[in-house]
Amino acid sequence: MEDFTTLTTDVLVIGAGGAGLRAAIEAAASGARVDIVCKSLLGKAHTVMAEGGIAAALGNVDSEDNWQVHFQDTMRGGQMINNWRMAQLHAQESPDRVYELETYGALFDRTPDGRVMQRAFGAHTYKRLCHVGDRTGLEMIRSLQDRVVQLGITVHMEWTLTRLLKEGERVVGAFGYNRVDGSFVAFRAKAVILATGGWGRIYKVTSNSWEGTGDGVGMGFEAGAEVLDPEMVQFHPTGMVWPPGVRGILVTEAVRGEGGYLKNSENKRFMLEYDPKKKELSSRDVVARSIYKEVEAGRGTPHGGAWLDVTHLGAETIKKKLPSMYEQFLRLADIDITKASMEVAPTIHYAMGGLRVEPETGETTLPGLFAAGEVAAGLHGSNRLGGNSLSDLLVFGRRAGGAAGAYARNIGLGRLDERLINQEQQTLLLPFSGEGTENPYLLQQALQQAMQDGAGLARDEKGLKGCLNTVLELRQRAARIHAPGSRRYNPGWHTARDLRFMLTIAECIVRAAIERRESRGAHWRLDYLEKDPALGKVNFIAYSDAGTVKLKQRPVPQMPPELAGLFDDAASPGALKSSSTAAPEAKRIPA
Amino acid sequence: MSTAAKTRPGADEATAASNNGKIVLQVFRGDPSGGGEERFEVPAVEGMVVLDAIHYIQANFANDLACRWNCKAAKCGSCSAEINGRPRLMCKTRVDEFVNQEIHVAPMRTFPLIKDLVTDVSWNYEVNKQIPGFTPAANESVPYRMRQEDVDRLYEYRKCIECFLCQDVCHVLRNHDDKSVYYGPRYMVRIAALEMHPLDTKRRSGLLHGAAGVGMCNITKCCQEVCPEHIKITDNAIIPLKERTATDMYDPIARVARKLRPRHEPAGTDGSPDGLAGTRLPQRFAVKDVVRLKSGGRPFARVGAVRQDGKLEVWVLKMRGTQQHWKGPKVINTSDVTNNYGPLDDVGIGSKLFEQQLMQHSEHGE
Repeated sequence: MEDFTTLTTDVLVIGAGGAGLRAAIEAAASGARVDIVCKSLLGKAHTVMAEGGIAAALGNVDSEDNWQVHFQDTMRGGQMINNWRMAQLHAQESPDRVYELETYGALFDRTPDGRVMQRAFGAHTYKRLCHVGDRTGLEMIRSLQDRVVQLGITVHMEWTLTRLLKEGERVVGAFGYNRVDGSFVAFRAKAVILATGGWGRIYKVTSNSWEGTGDGVGMGFEAGAEVLDPEMVQFHPTGMVWPPGVRGILVTEAVRGEGGYLKNSENKRFMLEYDPKKKELSSRDVVARSIYKEVEAGRGTPHGGAWLDVTHLGAETIKKKLPSMYEQFLRLADIDITKASMEVAPTIHYAMGGLRVEPETGETTLPGLFAAGEVAAGLHGSNRLGGNSLSDLLVFGRRAGGAAGAYARNIGLGRLDERLINQEQQTLLLPFSGEGTENPYLLQQALQQAMQDGAGLARDEKGLKGCLNTVLELRQRAARIHAPGSRRYNPGWHTARDLRFMLTIAECIVRAAIERRESRGAHWRLDYLEKDPALGKVNFIAYSDAGTVKLKQRPVPQMPPELAGLFDDAASPGALKSSSTAAPEAKRIPA
Repeated sequence: MSTAAKTRPGADEATAASNNGKIVLQVFRGDPSGGGEERFEVPAVEGMVVLDAIHYIQANFANDLACRWNCKAAKCGSCSAEINGRPRLMCKTRVDEFVNQEIHVAPMRTFPLIKDLVTDVSWNYEVNKQIPGFTPAANESVPYRMRQEDVDRLYEYRKCIECFLCQDVCHVLRNHDDKSVYYGPRYMVRIAALEMHPLDTKRRSGLLHGAAGVGMCNITKCCQEVCPEHIKITDNAIIPLKERTATDMYDPIARVARKLRPRHEPAGTDGSPDGLAGTRLPQRFAVKDVVRLKSGGRPFARVGAVRQDGKLEVWVLKMRGTQQHWKGPKVINTSDVTNNYGPLDDVGIGSKLFEQQLMQHSEHGE
């Protein structure tokens, strides 16, 4: 076994996006020693890509708004397979989290009387998204980053952790490598928080960065944690389409929030037909499918998308409210969006699925292991509303950080299992020592193509089964990956390990997608177009059985009557019939 | 696996890019022990950016080619490099800009090389730690109230994506390699954002004058030329900070007055740059003093002569590209001056150049 550095800490936070940083701040506030590990440089996490805003029922613009309405919107958006308790906590706590962010130095656009401005967004009943132009994610990560620096929390940049270390069932540390020099590192920690984000890179057309390889879910799965709702993968309706070099790059929902129109090749606003009430601001699953249907019906744009038009807003508003979109199209697509329409099509954006966690604490099914943000599941059900992600990061990042800090106070350090470390070293070094000839990048591209084709926006049994076969075959080939070069900053070698997580998760996605024989939220089955009330009562869970992916069902947690009563067309979640598109007016109960 | 078309650099420069739909890149490869350019041919795709080409090379020719990237949409500031000698983001640089040219991609030179296109930028993060963060008053009530004008003003600084291209191009950090005397443009932007936050209570003039070294900048504006977010780093961050530092360090009355200024009042509402109109004592002027004029753009000038009638002859600082030069003399009233910094050399306006010009003028004029 090769030598490695061992560091000891109370709370180890893996990931430095919104959730990881917020968790670290809270854990540090509880008195714990905290170490953050991130794959990139600090401040580069995918959170910076969030553009539209943070959903929080402040009621600054629409005074009728309150947490109950936000809660209902979230549950309906997720088609009622969400964890109601998470949705409740999220709706109740996000306003405080926004105000708290201001105390870290964050800036938001203001109302005329100086309060935080809020904008309309898809499937939110009221104007709810706190924003600063179209760079809210950057503002959030910078504020959290500054706070972390102020608190003196140690950040290990460009380290990748690939294996959770357990003592019995309890997670007591993690093992991985330093990307810069390729040396091995181990952490001994009283508690571990996963905040590693999503797995969008499993697909070809994605708005995600290279980091979105699902490491946290992969590590958690391998260690024995449960993966909830893996089949629920969100297509953001509006990604760039043309030129090919930019395909998949996100076009913020704020474009529609500020009043942009979606039009087909006949210059018709087709959303008026698919959702006459919410129109362009319907939920993301509905809008993505509508674009897909228009293209299928032969009314698509030259490159297979729809037109997104803001020219009627006037150049000044566009440049003020959507500055980075203006810049992005001008620079990358030679299009001046104040004068011409944007060409857009759905792009993989977000994983609703992830590790199953306790709503209050973010603790996974393994003791000592916590998860927050996109890596965790439950809040968003089968479809996430825009803006609910940034608030998710803050609300559950804080909760996980606090809970992990408290857990660490009452427990000692565990022992690191040398056998596991040795095993992981061998796994990591295989691409150098093995006889393999497979190119990690080309294998990754093959997986991305297979998932895009077989487990994409529109799914059916045949496509999914074909996709599963490809994934299994790629898993075999992945054992023969070869990484040329040295261990010094070698992205090919890094990709080899990332790919193993991606393949595992891909298998979870496809297996659950096959079993969910209905259409619900982001999961659209062409062979089962309707919702199945029985399946509306269950979540699928993928878990590891000696390394193989197994699937089981778990009943959707039942809401207490006072919350169930908010949904006048249903006494219990599973019985709810209406789709999010035909949601009745929100009802209120006293706070 | 390595099927890259490797030839000696410069072998067929003339034929170069977009031949047969191919783009030719010369990518720096190496580590601290040494390295050089390696030539690659990549198929051209419409709308391709340099980062796409690098990815193609990585996937097909050199799996271990090191580069940083994340968002691929100019929002994270990871993929900074020097492309044909100019510091730029690879994700924002279209290859079709370089018609019939080879594209040379090199790492940022101001920072120590790790490997290929990746440099060790950790110094920046260490600098950041030395800057006192946002400090609201202890009794500030939450939720905050702020004006949109204040947010708009700060927005420019907050746009920074920390690509460190400004740090890379800053000649204090780059040519003189003197990272101990100046924090660099990025951190001037950060300090400006903090200093101008309407609810921040901390003063960072001492830091600016000392360790942060705002005086080291001599306003060549290279940083704002390379900023991918179009932040006017020199004009809107560094110069106001120089001004503020000079006032705080050399004008105690103004410093006291600013402390007394009612909070929440946006700066400049009374027509002066720092909201201090009416609080200043009559200013005295001497030859060589650096002053700031009220006229459009609030240019810097130096006093060439103080006339009997109390008026001033000043020489206004002009930039020709990155070259400074003094234009004048121009006769103004003392009331046209907003700030007098005294005969400072550390505000970065070359006094030697000025003296030469003044001497030339008096020789020719008399």
